[in-house]
Formats: sequence, structure tokens, C-alpha cells
Amino acid sequence: MDETDAELVELVRRGDRRGAGRLIERYLRACRAVALAVTGVEADADDVCQDAFVVAIERIDDCRDPAKFGKWLLQIVRNRARNLIRSQAGRRTVPLDDNVPAYGRSPVAELEQVQLRERLLGALAEIPEQHREVVLLHDLEGWKHREIGARLGLPEGTVRSHLHHARRRLRQILGDGDTTE
Amino acid sequence: MTEPDYIDFSPLDPGRDPERWARRMTATRMLVDEVLARRIGRPGALDIVGAWFRPILAAAAVVAALLGTAGAVLGGRNAALDRASEARRLAVLSDNSLGRGERPTGAQLLVAIRSRRAP
Repeated sequence: MDETDAELVELVRRGDRRGAGRLIERYLRACRAVALAVTGVEADADDVCQDAFVVAIERIDDCRDPAKFGKWLLQIVRNRARNLIRSQAGRRTVPLDDNVPAYGRSPVAELEQVQLRERLLGALAEIPEQHREVVLLHDLEGWKHREIGARLGLPEGTVRSHLHHARRRLRQILGDGDTTE
Repeated sequence: MTEPDYIDFSPLDPGRDPERWARRMTATRMLVDEVLARRIGRPGALDIVGAWFRPILAAAAVVAALLGTAGAVLGGRNAALDRASEARRLAVLSDNSLGRGERPTGAQLLVAIRSRRAP
């Protein structure tokens, strides 16, 4: 049986590496999704999610409700992503490794992936940040409405509404529907 | 089950390059391990250097203290011996002078006192 967040936080507070490892496995991807929703740049999201996780472990004693570790962690991610954007204002550059081909993929296939990524990121940039978080956590990370609500501090009905509006708007922007199933 | 209007975000999936994502996970684990090591007092690099230096400094302090104490003790003992010799010489001079029915002269007193610095 999986340990609860509260149990894992307690392990981390005692310096247990396994507990921290389980939290990384459980939340690093979600951290990246939220960071991507804020920054809109994959390389930045990768850096932010790692940085935020380290900060969260450093400040684990500040997590007042260990059962809500996920919500607390994602707020750290959000804050650090916003700080990064502020620090980059006016000196935005293209990350070097954003378009590095994945191993084993042909250049043509990789080019198509790059174009698709750019289209998706461009479309996401057109919708509100909270809608981006909801749609990425649901459609990319596979979280349930209830989980998203608990970890973003939103009522489940609001999550459903955000998801509905986000998808509708994204479909409008993406037009041909080739990224929907 | 896939929802009908599910949007395919797989091009943004970090798992599209498993090796790269695994490296990211490993790097995060290592950084977190460092934090935990500091938290429970496991030695970091600076702690190890410090651990080497602390006994050396402590030993040096003890040696300095011992040398200082020995110096003070020896120095104090010499001074006490000097004072005892001086007192003995003055006593001998006084005894001789009284035995002869004379008072010691200033020159004799000066010799008795100064002779403690003689090699």
C-alpha cells in the first residue's frame, strides 16, 4: 500500500531518503506541469520543478499540514516559476536544449514534434494560467478532478469548469483538432 | 478510458525522452539527499575538512597551553630561586658584617643583589 503524503513528509522530517524519493516520484512530473503552465518554456519548467523540490525539502518543517503536501509544494513551484519569469523579463533567450532530438527519432519526426510542441505551447499561452494548470494536470499527468481540486485548492466543480473551458478554447486555437482524441 | 475531448499533450511529456527525464530525477534526488544529509548532521565536504582541522587545532592549543604553563612554572621557579639566593647572600652578608661589628656597605649590598643575574 502506498504511503500517504503525511507519512512521507514525516519520514523526510526524520531525514529519510526513501521518503523523499517517493515524494519525488509522486510529484516531480506534476511540479513540471505546473511550472510549464506558468513559464510556457519546457527547459525553464525542468529547472523550476527541480529547484522547487529542493526548496520544499529544505523547508519541510514549514509544511503545516503534511496531508496537503502536494498543494503546498505546487504553490512553491508556482512562486518560483513566477520569480523566474520576473528575473528573465527583458532578457528572454531560447534554451539551448529545447529542440534536442530525442534518441532514436528521425529528424523529420523530430521536426514534427518540435512544431507540435510549439503549437501546443502557443495555444496554452492563450488561456488563463489556472486553466493551463488544470488541463495539463488532467490531460498530461492523468490526475483526477478530485486530486486536482485538492492540490490546487479548488472545488471539484471549478476544476471541471476550468477543464471544459480550457479544452474548448485550446480546440478553437489549434483548429484542425489533430491534438485531440 | 479516454475522454472524448481529451487533448493530446504527449509532445510536452517529459517521458518522451526517458533518459533525459531519468537524469533529471536522479539529479533532483542527489540534491535532495544533500539537503537531508545536512538535516540529520551527516558530514558534508566542509564538515569533513573541519573534522580534520578541529583535532589539530585542539592539539596545538593543548601543546601551547602546556608550554605556556611549563614556562610560567619554570620561570616562576627560577625567580623564586633567585629571590632565595638573593636572600641567602644578603643574610650571609649581614651575618658576616654583624660578626665583624660593621654595617654592610652599599657596594656590598649591590653585589649581593646583582650577583643573582650572574651566569
